[in-house]
Amino acid sequence: EWKGWNIHVPDYPVSVAMDDFIAKASEVTGGAVSGKTFHGGVLGSQPDAITQMQIGGINYAVFNMGPMGPIVPETNVLSLPFIFKDMDHMHRVMDGAFGDKLGEAMAAKGLVPLAWYDSGARSFYNSQKPINTPSDLDGMKFRVMNNELFVGMVEALGGNATPMAFSEVYQSLKTGVVDGAENNWPSYESTNHYEVAGYYSLSQHLILPECLCVSKASWDQLSAEDQAKVRKVARDSADLQRKLWADRAKASQAKVLESGVKFNEIADKAPFQDAMSAVYTAAIAKTPELEQLIADIKAVD
Amino acid sequence: MTDIPPVTRNVDRLLGWVAQICTWISGLCLVTLVATFGWLVFGRYVLNSTPTWVEQLSLLMIVTITFLSSAVGVHEKSHLSVDILPGLLPPELRRWVHVLIYATLFGFGLVMMVNAYGLVRFTWAQRIPLLDIPEGVRSIPMTVSGGLIMLFSVGNTLRALTGPLEDDLPPVIEQDELLPDADALKKDLM
Amino acid sequence: MGLAILLGLFALSITFGLPVAYAIGLSAVAAFAYEGLPLLIAFQRIVSGVSVFSLLAIPFFIFAGELMLHGGIAARLVRLASSAVGWMRGGLGQVNVFSSMLFGGISGSAVADVSALGSLLIPVMKEKGYEDDYAVNVTVTSSIAGILIPPSHNMILFVVAAGGGLSVSKLFIAGIIPGVLMCLGLAVAARWVAIRRNYPVEEFAGWNVIAMATVAAIPGLFTAVIIVGGALSGVFTVTESGAIGAIYAIAVTTLAYRSLSLADFWTAVIRSVKTTGMVMILVACASAFGYMLAFYQVPAKLATALFWLSDNPIVILLVMNLMLLVLGMIMDMAALILICTPIFLPVAVGLGMDPIQFGVMMMMNLGLGLCTPPVGACLFVGCAIGGVPIERAVRTIWPFYFAILVALMLVTFIPAISTLLPGLID
Ligand code: NA
Ligand code: NA
Repeated sequence: EWKGWNIHVPDYPVSVAMDDFIAKASEVTGGAVSGKTFHGGVLGSQPDAITQMQIGGINYAVFNMGPMGPIVPETNVLSLPFIFKDMDHMHRVMDGAFGDKLGEAMAAKGLVPLAWYDSGARSFYNSQKPINTPSDLDGMKFRVMNNELFVGMVEALGGNATPMAFSEVYQSLKTGVVDGAENNWPSYESTNHYEVAGYYSLSQHLILPECLCVSKASWDQLSAEDQAKVRKVARDSADLQRKLWADRAKASQAKVLESGVKFNEIADKAPFQDAMSAVYTAAIAKTPELEQLIADIKAVD
Repeated sequence: MTDIPPVTRNVDRLLGWVAQICTWISGLCLVTLVATFGWLVFGRYVLNSTPTWVEQLSLLMIVTITFLSSAVGVHEKSHLSVDILPGLLPPELRRWVHVLIYATLFGFGLVMMVNAYGLVRFTWAQRIPLLDIPEGVRSIPMTVSGGLIMLFSVGNTLRALTGPLEDDLPPVIEQDELLPDADALKKDLM
Repeated sequence: MGLAILLGLFALSITFGLPVAYAIGLSAVAAFAYEGLPLLIAFQRIVSGVSVFSLLAIPFFIFAGELMLHGGIAARLVRLASSAVGWMRGGLGQVNVFSSMLFGGISGSAVADVSALGSLLIPVMKEKGYEDDYAVNVTVTSSIAGILIPPSHNMILFVVAAGGGLSVSKLFIAGIIPGVLMCLGLAVAARWVAIRRNYPVEEFAGWNVIAMATVAAIPGLFTAVIIVGGALSGVFTVTESGAIGAIYAIAVTTLAYRSLSLADFWTAVIRSVKTTGMVMILVACASAFGYMLAFYQVPAKLATALFWLSDNPIVILLVMNLMLLVLGMIMDMAALILICTPIFLPVAVGLGMDPIQFGVMMMMNLGLGLCTPPVGACLFVGCAIGGVPIERAVRTIWPFYFAILVALMLVTFIPAISTLLPGLID
């Protein structure tokens, strides 16, 4: 009986797809694989869950690739701002040879990625003004995830990067401890951040995939035949998740726009991208493998 | 107190020092915590540049305080416990229930130390973001705590076996220790 | 079977007197072992359980409270209470309740309230001809105000146990009306007993005495204003406001009151880390215990059982209150918040209850547990200070229990009592 970890509430696109995955996997393997997904993060935070998968307490999970960097440094390539041109580009890269290559680096750490899920594109939002150029961020306090790359990104754009626990962000936005944050449409909506930070600027600086992973130990116990079948249903679940995600993103966008959120596209993203060269340089200096991986991604059209 | 054997008294004194050191380290962590948060607020509003290391560092501090001072709690027997059964037992039997409790705590301390050390090693290759030190550092206080619990349990067992029975009773609340100017106030109210 | 090991070993080890925190940890580890789960994960849960940002507010609140105690604030609050309500029948009983209400705004801890105010007021009351059981009863029951009136570290535990997503500041101000309401009930109970026992009346001290006492107490009371107001206004996060509150407390006790020596300061630090260690090791071990509760799907099973029992919300709420009361009688508050919140909160929310209202209800309910035998930390400390056997104190405590129960029922069935103030800051 496999144990699945998931951070999201049961009706989220990821959650539906995970339940679909484990049900289908049980079907196609004739019960060789079966399990239950524990939704809502009841088994711990994502970094803890990754460790649990490595130790052997959790058998499958969907992990966001943002906090994967401290464990598999190569995956930091996905956290580089503007690394992907758009969602479709990300799909082409991750579903192709590059995804397999990155998968090998993860498998070496005990995590076998079977398919790549969507978590949309993250953009900046804030309570002050629309953002059109990097200088609009000057002096503004932006909450970022706990990762040097995101701190570096906001600092390179002239903002005041404020790492902060997710649970504190709503109150901090509301009361002005921070001016803004960055996330995708569904998170912006479901966390109610749109109520307190009413300017959403479509920077799409991060297109972070999530991965449906199985622990190396559980994976190696399956016959090659079962592995192929499970991988197939995993890919199918990714198709389902991407479709559900797209619907969800559209619905969330519609909901927040209806509530009066001021939304703007950014006409020229080049100045933002140019400002990132320092972030890239620093990342490569720390993890030299990234240079080749960046080139690999750029090579995919 | 004359019938406490010298061995017990010396061990007690030694463990008292160990506990004292742990308490001081915890105290320094608390002072550091308060100071870094003052610095955080100062940085955000005055320097307009939020120190990014405060959050992760403060988590290490609170972990240190938790595991060191909870181990000290074993030495000082200040942990919350229920004591329904021991209170009903005749004194001689109560002595052995206490020994059983300390033996259990010793075992828990051992399992804690071994597994916490396992975590230190397992997560050593990971990095704590924004501090850039090994994730394994986070589990060091728990490892130490496991060892301390074992050590203090041995001391408590020794006390329970060789000391007078009263020594095992919960400490008497020291009145007025909290309020420096209580006497003056009492006179006012009288 | 695994669940039986988890709960059975826990019950067995606390009965034998194993410290509650380690009893929780031990039974969780045993369940991990029984299920063949790696023990490394149990200890990962234990260390991760305290590696949580929101929990940092706890040592800060405790520290701020200790600083104010050692800096002489408690004494000033009692003076204010004494001048304001001491002239009523059974005046010192009223002073006791009113002091706890004021003190609640500084100390987040009921036990600190009992030991600080009790060691001051119980001897004075005895001296003045109040029976010792009355002195202990009033002191012990009114100490619950410290949990309800902000800041309160138990409310932080609730927010953490609820899985984040709740606003600490909202929960804080939600406790104010219920806390005051409960104190009013206790004041009525104290007066009722005082009349029956014909306790003395003091002379009215005069308005200028009240004014002077108020002025003297204000800088101390302002600590609570900084902590709660700082977070509400958004100058600081809740965690930061705890630290700023502590820094303010250092400033006011050294500069305004000039009563905090370096030795007092270090005493406050040492006492704070000891209290913090005891609370946080509970949080740590409860995290491993909670993992196994989730593993056995206890929350879902209990919800099913409750709804099987009845589909009447009033009955379910009463049953939940009863279960919390019984558990509160035999177990410590912090541990119960951490274990019961994930189990009961979804049921309450399923009934359409506001999580904030549920939190206040739970605080008051478990607070009552601190004043009941066989396991009640406040009752124990109060009886130890008063030199009263627990049996004797409990024999005459029922008017006070009754007052708290009435307040608890009001909080349970009238949402506005807890949701009115938080609604205003939206
Ligand atoms: Na309080
Ligand atoms: Na009181």
